[in-house]
Amino acid sequence: MARFALALATALLLIIAPLGRVWAGAPTDQLRAQIDRAVKLLEDPELKKEGRQRDRRAAVRQVANDIFDFSETARRSLARHWAARTQAERDEFVQLFSDLLERSYISKIELYGGEKIRFVGESIDADGAIVRTRLVTKQGTEIPIDYKMHLRGDRWLVYDVLIEGVSLIANYRTQFNKIITTSSFQELVKKMKTKQEEFLQEEKRTSQR
Amino acid sequence: MERSRVNIAVGIFVILGMVALGYLSVKLGQVSFLGGRGYPVTVDFPSVGGLKAGSSVEIAGVEIGRVESIGLADYQARVTLRVQSGIKLQEDAIASIKTKGLIGEKYIRISPGGSEKIIPPNGKIREVEAPVDFEELLSKYIFGKV
Repeated sequence: MARFALALATALLLIIAPLGRVWAGAPTDQLRAQIDRAVKLLEDPELKKEGRQRDRRAAVRQVANDIFDFSETARRSLARHWAARTQAERDEFVQLFSDLLERSYISKIELYGGEKIRFVGESIDADGAIVRTRLVTKQGTEIPIDYKMHLRGDRWLVYDVLIEGVSLIANYRTQFNKIITTSSFQELVKKMKTKQEEFLQEEKRTSQR
Repeated sequence: MERSRVNIAVGIFVILGMVALGYLSVKLGQVSFLGGRGYPVTVDFPSVGGLKAGSSVEIAGVEIGRVESIGLADYQARVTLRVQSGIKLQEDAIASIKTKGLIGEKYIRISPGGSEKIIPPNGKIREVEAPVDFEELLSKYIFGKV
């Protein structure tokens, strides 16, 4: 009887264990849902109206926050300089880094003009996954964009984006490393802060116009 | 007597020459004995475009290992590296295939990560960057516009 119970328990465990994966859902599905959300926001005629740029940007950033793991991207970009930072420094850096990403990419996303996104495939390896997509421009050019995702709780979150095989993290890692080794971490933070302030002022000026 | 001494001298000369030749071919061919020192690590690239066994693996421009072999696994290029034993690679290290100069030979550049987890011998580097294919890029942006 005891043996039977054990067998049953093992069987149940074997059934439940893979279910964890199923509950999490495929990374592609989660990514697709968020991209669809973003595209819908960008195509929303209500948000395209004059003076609503700020709302639109905030809405897109909300979507980005739901699918991107900015703290992981920041941690990996700082690489070996991350360990030496205090918790406060890390929090500040993550904030500045996500501002930087927003500045450079979310503002570009506003140029979106009906490009199609094609999902080519995904490969899952333990708690990591790559989702391969192609951005098809109106001219028909295909730009490969791969998303590297990892499982956090029950959600797959993106931590790196590879465009034409070039990694976002590798790019920032080299730049940050150069700045930190030639000057200091404080210098890097100062630089990022000034850039962000300049951007905010610029934005204020354009919205007043 | 005189004759055999000449023979011995010639023999020694030939043997010395062969040893020198052997040394030279080992040095130039970068052959490693007994499986080489260091530990193996595998990396899967979507394409290796021009990378060869024997290509160098560098961190900050310093050679820390070599490409041991390149094979095909699930239609991807599986590259086995042999990394010097003193070098620790973090789990989030990124391996990218780079070109020396504009048209130089290919090598693998590893940018060290910050994770506390270290890749064990026979482990795998998960973060990769494939070489940028300039011809493909060019043709895409030249002929892409219809």
